[in-house]
Amino acid sequence: MAKGASNIKLYFLILLAVTGIFVAGLGGGIWDQQTFWALQWQHQALSYVCHQLPDRSFWLNNQPMAVCSRCLGIYGGFLSGWLLLPLIDYFKNRPQPAKRAAIGAVLVNLADIIGNLVGFWENTLLSRFMLGSLAGLSVALLFVGTFFNRNIKSERDHHGRVTATGI
Amino acid sequence: MEESQQQGFDNPQPDFSDQPNEPSYWKSVATAGVIFGIVAFVLSLVSSYAVINSEPTGSLLNPTQFIGTFACLAGSFGGMLAVWHYAREYDLFIQLGRGALIGFLTGVGITVVNVILGEAWQFIDPDMTQKVIESTIASIEAMELPEAQKQQIIDATAEGLQSQNSMFSQLLWSIPINGILNLITGMIGAKIFGQQEG
Repeated sequence: MAKGASNIKLYFLILLAVTGIFVAGLGGGIWDQQTFWALQWQHQALSYVCHQLPDRSFWLNNQPMAVCSRCLGIYGGFLSGWLLLPLIDYFKNRPQPAKRAAIGAVLVNLADIIGNLVGFWENTLLSRFMLGSLAGLSVALLFVGTFFNRNIKSERDHHGRVTATGI
Repeated sequence: MEESQQQGFDNPQPDFSDQPNEPSYWKSVATAGVIFGIVAFVLSLVSSYAVINSEPTGSLLNPTQFIGTFACLAGSFGGMLAVWHYAREYDLFIQLGRGALIGFLTGVGITVVNVILGEAWQFIDPDMTQKVIESTIASIEAMELPEAQKQQIIDATAEGLQSQNSMFSQLLWSIPINGILNLITGMIGAKIFGQQEG
């Protein structure tokens, strides 16, 4: 019971932290900050994890976001997946590991970066965002069944077995 | 007995929190922190010198900064490595919260190692930051922009790079960001390496 409660706390801690990073990643444009964008705290904070090239970032209110489109996708996808975890756990009886999907999504992103770098194809803001979202989402879904697992011990037909309904 | 069984069923993950003499994770944290801190520092150094030695591109941000970004991204996986090392070294079940803690501490370690090495490098090449600023300014001057706007960007960029390279600023922003990212990869590590799938 105590461990379940601490897992829930961890869930909300991550939710808060990732929401913070995602909102910061939107840059100063969303708040219409007047400071030159390169000097905004959002750019300073995230300069250690993203190249922040303006032509590879979405723009909001004439200001580039503080992370590139792929990073925005990663954080956005992860946040969406994280928010969906309680719902997925509610409707899903048996958690299924999404390890292969996550590894696949990360590899697709790596292939996209390399393919673009060597000139096999040219990716766009949107394609980078979509692939980043896929990676973020699939990583978040690794935690299906971790925080909100409803499985309980059956006391009736399947006595002693773990079921979703207890029947 | 019945109560403990019920608790086990309510909570599908095995609870080994009462394992006696659980080994310390500091060795794994220190190992991953030092390795990734050094890797991040070396890559950021390569990135800085690539900027210094590059021709003015006429672009506000130099493409060689990609290398620096890889350094930071690589640093995000320190948490996973630390958890992997911990799980492998002691062959035990790792709770999600412990994985998160190991990841966070590794992120802090990476930042501290990176900042210390950066400060030490100031003794070897005290002009490096100034050279990066000058190279970036030269690149901005090659841009086709109105003079007033160009000057504004130059001032802002110089100020931004100066503050970005201060020890306080690096610690202020890197510890929480690196800490959070490594906390997440630490949790992923606990999920992948530290738990048996049922």
